[in-house]
Amino acid sequence: MMIHLAMATGFLLILIGFYGALSNRNLLRMIVAFTIADSGVNLVIVAIGYMPGRTAPILDATVKAGDAAARVIDPVPQALVLTAIVIGVGVTALMLAYAYKLYEKKRSLDIAKFTELRG
Amino acid sequence: MPNALYLIVAALAASFVLGLLSPKRCGIAYAITLVTLAFMAWVSAGWLWAFVVGGAQPVEILTAGALPPYAINLRMGRAEAAMTLLINLTGLLSALYLKESLFKLGHRGMAVLLVAIMAFCGIVLTRDLFNLFVFFELAAISTAGLILLSEDDRALSAGFKYLIVSQFVSTFLLIGILFAYHATGTLNIDTMATSARLLQVGAQGFTLAFFLMFIALVTELKPFPANGWALDIYESAHPAYSAIFSAAAATASLYAVDKLLLIGGASWYPMASGIGILTFLAANLFALPQSNDRRLLGYSSVAQIGLILVVLGQRDLLGESTSFIAIGLLVSHAVAKAGLYWLSGLVQKRNLIDWAALRGHPFLVFAFITFVAMLTSLPPFPGFYAKWELVRMLAGGGRLALLALILVGALIEAGYLFRWFGYILKREPPTEAVSGEVHKLVPVFVAVLAGWALGYLWGDLSGTGRHNLLLALPLVFAVGFLLLDWLPAWVKNTLAITGMVAFFFLTYTEYDPLRLIFALIFLIGGAITLLASYDAHGRRIGFYPAAMLMVAGMVMLVRAKDSFEFFAAWELLTIGSYFLILRGKHSEPHALSYLLFSLGGAFLILAGFAIAAQGVAPFPISALGQVAPSLAPWVFVLLATGFMTKTAAIGLHIWLPGAHAEAETDVSPMVSGILLKAGLFGLFVLLMTMGKQQLYGIELTHVLLWIAAFTALLGNLMAVFQEDAKRLLAYSSIGQMGYALFGLALMNHLGWLMALMFVINHYIYKSMLFLSVGGVAKRTGTREMYRMGGLIRLMPLSFIAVLIGIIAVSGVPPLSGFGGRWIFYNAILASDYRMPMVIIFLAGPVAFLYLFRLIHSIFLGQLKDELRRVKEAPFWIVLPQMLYVGLLLAFALVPGLVLRRVDSYLNLFFPEGGLHWEGFEITSDYGYWNPVAIMIVVAVIFVSLFAWLLFVNRRAQKVKQFNIVFSAERPYRPETTHFAWNFFAPYRKALGFLVQPYATNFWGTLTDILHTAGDLARRLYDGNGQSYAFHFLVFVVVVFGMGL
Amino acid sequence: MVKRLLALLLLAAIGGIFTTLVLGYMPDAELNNTARYYADHTAADIGSANLVTAIVITYRGLDTLGEVTVLFLAAAILGLVLARGRRQVQARRELTPVGELLTTGSRVLVPLIMLLGVYVFVNGHLTPGGGFQGGAVIASGVLLLLLTDPLRQFAHTLIAAVESLAGVFYVAIGLMGLFLAGGFLDNRFLPIGTLGALFSAGAIPIIYTLIGLKVGAEFSVMLSDLSDTEAL
Repeated sequence: MMIHLAMATGFLLILIGFYGALSNRNLLRMIVAFTIADSGVNLVIVAIGYMPGRTAPILDATVKAGDAAARVIDPVPQALVLTAIVIGVGVTALMLAYAYKLYEKKRSLDIAKFTELRG
Repeated sequence: MPNALYLIVAALAASFVLGLLSPKRCGIAYAITLVTLAFMAWVSAGWLWAFVVGGAQPVEILTAGALPPYAINLRMGRAEAAMTLLINLTGLLSALYLKESLFKLGHRGMAVLLVAIMAFCGIVLTRDLFNLFVFFELAAISTAGLILLSEDDRALSAGFKYLIVSQFVSTFLLIGILFAYHATGTLNIDTMATSARLLQVGAQGFTLAFFLMFIALVTELKPFPANGWALDIYESAHPAYSAIFSAAAATASLYAVDKLLLIGGASWYPMASGIGILTFLAANLFALPQSNDRRLLGYSSVAQIGLILVVLGQRDLLGESTSFIAIGLLVSHAVAKAGLYWLSGLVQKRNLIDWAALRGHPFLVFAFITFVAMLTSLPPFPGFYAKWELVRMLAGGGRLALLALILVGALIEAGYLFRWFGYILKREPPTEAVSGEVHKLVPVFVAVLAGWALGYLWGDLSGTGRHNLLLALPLVFAVGFLLLDWLPAWVKNTLAITGMVAFFFLTYTEYDPLRLIFALIFLIGGAITLLASYDAHGRRIGFYPAAMLMVAGMVMLVRAKDSFEFFAAWELLTIGSYFLILRGKHSEPHALSYLLFSLGGAFLILAGFAIAAQGVAPFPISALGQVAPSLAPWVFVLLATGFMTKTAAIGLHIWLPGAHAEAETDVSPMVSGILLKAGLFGLFVLLMTMGKQQLYGIELTHVLLWIAAFTALLGNLMAVFQEDAKRLLAYSSIGQMGYALFGLALMNHLGWLMALMFVINHYIYKSMLFLSVGGVAKRTGTREMYRMGGLIRLMPLSFIAVLIGIIAVSGVPPLSGFGGRWIFYNAILASDYRMPMVIIFLAGPVAFLYLFRLIHSIFLGQLKDELRRVKEAPFWIVLPQMLYVGLLLAFALVPGLVLRRVDSYLNLFFPEGGLHWEGFEITSDYGYWNPVAIMIVVAVIFVSLFAWLLFVNRRAQKVKQFNIVFSAERPYRPETTHFAWNFFAPYRKALGFLVQPYATNFWGTLTDILHTAGDLARRLYDGNGQSYAFHFLVFVVVVFGMGL
Repeated sequence: MVKRLLALLLLAAIGGIFTTLVLGYMPDAELNNTARYYADHTAADIGSANLVTAIVITYRGLDTLGEVTVLFLAAAILGLVLARGRRQVQARRELTPVGELLTTGSRVLVPLIMLLGVYVFVNGHLTPGGGFQGGAVIASGVLLLLLTDPLRQFAHTLIAAVESLAGVFYVAIGLMGLFLAGGFLDNRFLPIGTLGALFSAGAIPIIYTLIGLKVGAEFSVMLSDLSDTEAL
């Protein structure tokens, strides 16, 4: 149940982020909205790997190498989420660079003002 | 072989090393970039060589010392090698092209470029889903980076729009991948494909997960309508980047979708096809009203990728051939699009019309047309073989609706691309010159070479290689003229004539009598017409490759054994003649409409053959006779309509007058006298093999009769009302083709003989008339007949040619036209169709009206003041006319020389109703005809009449011209007072309703509707990044809804 | 308004897809095939106590290399785009002083933060953490420095050199795996040692150190570049 709640929260964050990106015309707000959606995605990923009653995938005194398969949760989504987070950061940085250049050009952050290319 | 991982490692290491350099060391950084890209290209090329030549097996590349699916693995196979080579070469050449702008950006910019190319390679190589995601993100970020660094300010907003959409895409992709992993317990593509098969049908989670992945990756292919951002990028980014996006990125994304479909399986194929075909049609439609070159290319890119997606979605039908077709289309698209984008960087301004700047540079024009031919899948390029194969298999599998949509889209695409080519050759060049830096020309040059080499390769791969068009002698001969274009025109003319005559004498034993006649007209007839071309001076760049391409096509048509060869030849002669027609001064719109009608007709022929073959390959022409009865009438309709576009049957005729009239003096006889026969040849072949067919109880040859009768009548009527002498001749050709078609459609012995007689006659007299009228027009500077008059003394030889010509055309004794008529009337008597016969009889006298005008308005009457110094037409234009006069007389005296053999050949098809040939006398069931006797009779009558005329006019007085003047009034339009203007006004009053331009209006309205639709619909792309995000989400939801 | 309504409608449809996904989701009771392989083999094959690290650095090392490249790209592009902004900054403006608390605090904290960062990436194969996390911690130290003195100029050349060299070495180590062990990015060309020791898991600590340095350098560059945009 907990997992479903976490997952639903993740999806909700994604939807909130999407809504923000679709309804805000300000570039910076759109970028923030996307980072919210990114967090949602990451939450969903982590939730997918979770297994009730198990522990973190690190071998130590309590989790021996021999019985790890029965004790730990799925390590793969954990590894993937790391990559996803880093890529998210990269994209966000790039979008910020864009916002900066766009603002420098038109002194405006309104996305509706950048429509010289169309049709 | 070097490990394929080096593709990735080298690029990464190099880009990290670039980071170490000081910003001042741009030269070194640039060298590192080029060397790295060259190395990557070399690695891919080495693998491709090993696979294709060495027969190597695909190699799995493991990482981390563990086996897949536990560690990421890559795969290098034949397709991967080809695609990475394409990507790396595009990268290398673009880097070369980008020299200045990379120097401006410095080492970090070069690193971004390297990473982009590496990421595309990674997308192709990886067999791991999440790894695919990582490479996609790398590609997205580096792409956005390159756009951000473009010089055009507008690129900024385009890049941001791209990032918005790619945020949505990566969200869906990630969620999809993770849920797919959860459902199958693996991230490896191949393992997942296996486990997905084992999942029970109700595995909702997996289907949804797959849907999310699918929609995300498909969006990378810029599907309609979720592609507004892509077009903005294409329009504004540096053209070398656009070349990379269009060629390399699209290649990578397509392969990714293909890998994904491996997991999804056949149930997702219809979805892929549906998205693909919608995109193909919409993008081509939107491209139609574009005037910005780069945006147009963007639309065309989107369309091409859509088409390839269709191919991927037809894998269930295409099977093994999928990669031959898909990669064939892909390489054509990639090479051509990269080349065109590189070319666009040489042109300074962005309107399509500004490309006229290329005109001064024959090589660049050649490059352009090579690329356009590749995009429109013309022979001998890879797309042609792919198109043939695709259509063949679609028709064989009964997917006719899809086939029709593909052909419609392809026709629209050909429309806007060739319209553009017309601008280049015909519009006023802008003042800005083409920039000619070597490093920008090299990539274009390489792309052209690659295009031709790929054409050869695909020809080799198609079937057993027997069908390699670039090995066909006539085509090689034609293409050879490209290399000889620096020679003076007379040298090339001699070469061309020698080649044609030699080829005829080498091969004439191989034809049956019917084909021999066509071969004679195409080769020897063509050579005689070419004599007129000695009149041209200078180099006449582009004329000979085009003319020889047309001749090659016609020759290959006669020699074609199976449907593939026939169709390839058909396309070649179409293209060659298009180039020839386009050479005329004002022929831009006419050449375009000629090409579109011809290509449309060609597509009908293609579809007809494909449906007839039902998947069988090779399909011999003769097998048309064994097509299943349920399909045969449809095949007949498609092929007949296709051939009738070439013979300009009424309704499909509107391209002809302009095309024939506006062509150059020596081109008009070629396209009229010779080229039209190709259509008749097609009809001959069709009727010979398929015979009579019935569709819903209607006899189709009967329909042809009606069409032919109306074509003859209306063609002649329209000719009557022309002021322009060449247009008059052109309309007369429509009428003449009507007669020939009528003869064929009679489906009896004499009908066919008469059609053949028309083939020969029409070649001779129409070539002759076009030459004489062309010669007159050249000397007088006008083609309007009322501006001429009284030229009989100044141009006596031209007069004789026209006189003989019109006697022959009108079918009065003693010339060969009469023979044609005589056989014709016999043939009609032998058949039992009365009504169309009445119409065709009506057409006869109408011909007299316009023929009379030709001689009367041009040569008789009073000489215009400004034409007093006009000389006889140039020697080389008169010479062939005189040859034709000789030929006509000979053919009139001894028609048996040619016709006898054909007559007996026709006995194979119609054993009854042949002619009897004895000495000079020819006997039919209804009477006899002795050409020599008739000649003598007519000569006697003529001489006595002439003598009597001289006698009664012996006291005639010469009246000086201009001894009366206008009575103090200068009319507003002086020509209206000329007696020769609107000569047949009373007839126009009576019959004008018949010659209203209904057909022209119909086709005009059709193209207008297409244009308007494209123009309205493209407003969907309002330029707002958020709208594009909406489009994407609508796309997702709609596709999801359809998938349910 | 229509736009928002349309957005809500579309998102409701997307939400429908998501809901189906959530409702259809059943957590696994047992590790799936892939995960079980990692649980069973990591200790013996890779020698890393942290399974996630083994996956990130070795089994899915190619992803991580790509990930590092993403940051490299972002930093490079940001550097290029904002290069002009930096020059404008050089016409210095007066800023209000940031206050004693922040200045002194940063002096105390920054060395500690840096130390923590190093600890996190060096122990990446043993504890939760690793190069990315460590690098991010280091960059947060840089952020603190920027907060105290927004106009501070870092030794860009040095940072760039660290970044690039780390990248080059990373690729080189990957290649050593290819030549000396089982494949590209195989960590076992160095002894894997005893499970749980600092010097164990073959090349993983080296790779994580390189990543830590690289990520730290990249984030620092990005932060410093972005802080320059304030001049606009």
